[in-house]
Amino acid sequence: MLKPVVLRLEDVRLDIPVNTTETRSLKASLIRSVTGGKLSRRRGGAVITALQEVSCTVREGERVALIGHNGAGKSTFLRLISGIYQHTAGLLEARVRVFPMINKSFITSSELSGMQAIKAHYLMVNGNLRGFEAFTEDVIDFSGLGDFIHLPVKTYSQGMSARLLFAVLTACTHECLALDEGLGAGDSSFYERAQQRMHDFLSTTGTLFLASHSTELLRGFCQRGLVFQEGRIVFDGPLEAALAHYHKSA
Amino acid sequence: MRRVWWFTATARTKARFVRTIFGSFWLGLSNLLSIGVLASIYYTLFEYEDFNSYVVYLGIGLVVWNTLAGAISSAPNLFEQNHNHVHNTNLNPIFYTLEEWAFQLQTFVQSFLLVILVLSIFQYDLFANLLIVGWLPLINLFLFIYWFPVLLCVLGARYRDLYQLVPIILQLIFLLSPILYEKKMLGAKGWTADFNPIYQILKPVRHSMMSGELHIGQGLFLLGVNIIGIWIALRLINRERPNLPFLI
Repeated sequence: MLKPVVLRLEDVRLDIPVNTTETRSLKASLIRSVTGGKLSRRRGGAVITALQEVSCTVREGERVALIGHNGAGKSTFLRLISGIYQHTAGLLEARVRVFPMINKSFITSSELSGMQAIKAHYLMVNGNLRGFEAFTEDVIDFSGLGDFIHLPVKTYSQGMSARLLFAVLTACTHECLALDEGLGAGDSSFYERAQQRMHDFLSTTGTLFLASHSTELLRGFCQRGLVFQEGRIVFDGPLEAALAHYHKSA
Repeated sequence: MRRVWWFTATARTKARFVRTIFGSFWLGLSNLLSIGVLASIYYTLFEYEDFNSYVVYLGIGLVVWNTLAGAISSAPNLFEQNHNHVHNTNLNPIFYTLEEWAFQLQTFVQSFLLVILVLSIFQYDLFANLLIVGWLPLINLFLFIYWFPVLLCVLGARYRDLYQLVPIILQLIFLLSPILYEKKMLGAKGWTADFNPIYQILKPVRHSMMSGELHIGQGLFLLGVNIIGIWIALRLINRERPNLPFLI
């Protein structure tokens, strides 16, 4: 029996305007409005078509790899399906909330403690504090920060920040996850535990979109591959076939 | 999401005063310092007879003005400051405006309470007037410091000149607004205060607390203006939402 559709795109296009000084100057806009445009220079700047003719249907539970060179449109696609960008044309139907993990960072200031960073993230994901204590215990235990959790994040080493961020991001489950590259896990001594945690985290995710240049990562978690080239999906099929297509055209 | 933006606003307030001795008391203390210095200078300059009345007049005006000016001056750059989250999270942009509003509210309440406490030395019934008749002007102030900065932050995301222009205009409006002086001293130019929207929000707060009177008609009119303003601001932000990640 086919699982329900969670995401459907039909001929989706995304144009990104390149705003110039002319279009962002209050003075130029006022002059244009007064003169009726007769004395204005050509209005607007360039428009970049970041995605075009993008069509695909994704069902619940699918693990989809996004493959392509830098600038092919993978991250843009992730932002589009997460609702960060809104499509210019075509049909995009998202029946679940897509959680983006693109640029991973804390949402609170580094002057605040790790505990406050955890709380802010939890509230953002869940909207309430039910289950927060268990969540916090899990994060503190896994990250190994102990009492440091009450100190400002800016006092942490890079490894400590990375471990805390990794622990926080992998402690929640999501209906649908849009993940750009993997998650940095800090120092090598943490690596093995992080691998298992990452595996468990992605296993519990409902539907997964994973953009990565790492073939190993993609093979570990995905069964289907979308190959992007110049903003288009040029291949949509089983992962191995997608990787073969990508390497052949590279 | 209410708990989130309120929490992050509170967290920002705490971060602001971390490692200071007086913490968030600095909000009230800095206002009191300004009030003390300005009152002693301008009381002499303008030859006021009643110092007690003048210091209360100046004090309430200044603390309300500082809140209005703070909310307005931070508006044009709001999305730029949050550009990392705008580009990488799917939070509705309204979230950032609400967080900023909560931050300004918390700043106002903390400084206002301390200032009113001290000013009660000069006029004992300030708190009573605040509770009995000051609630409607305060509601109008709180609503205004939401929607007006939202208009500016949406326009500021598109027109980068605004960030340069706002501080200059605010300085001029401050001088044109009867905060340091009384409106009657403007003489024939008193109409400038009547058409000054920021002063029209400030005036009822001060008047209600000092006199114990509430002009209910004016208050309801301002409430209506605020409601329309919020509606316009929310429509504008929803309309600009698809463009925001590309503007900042």
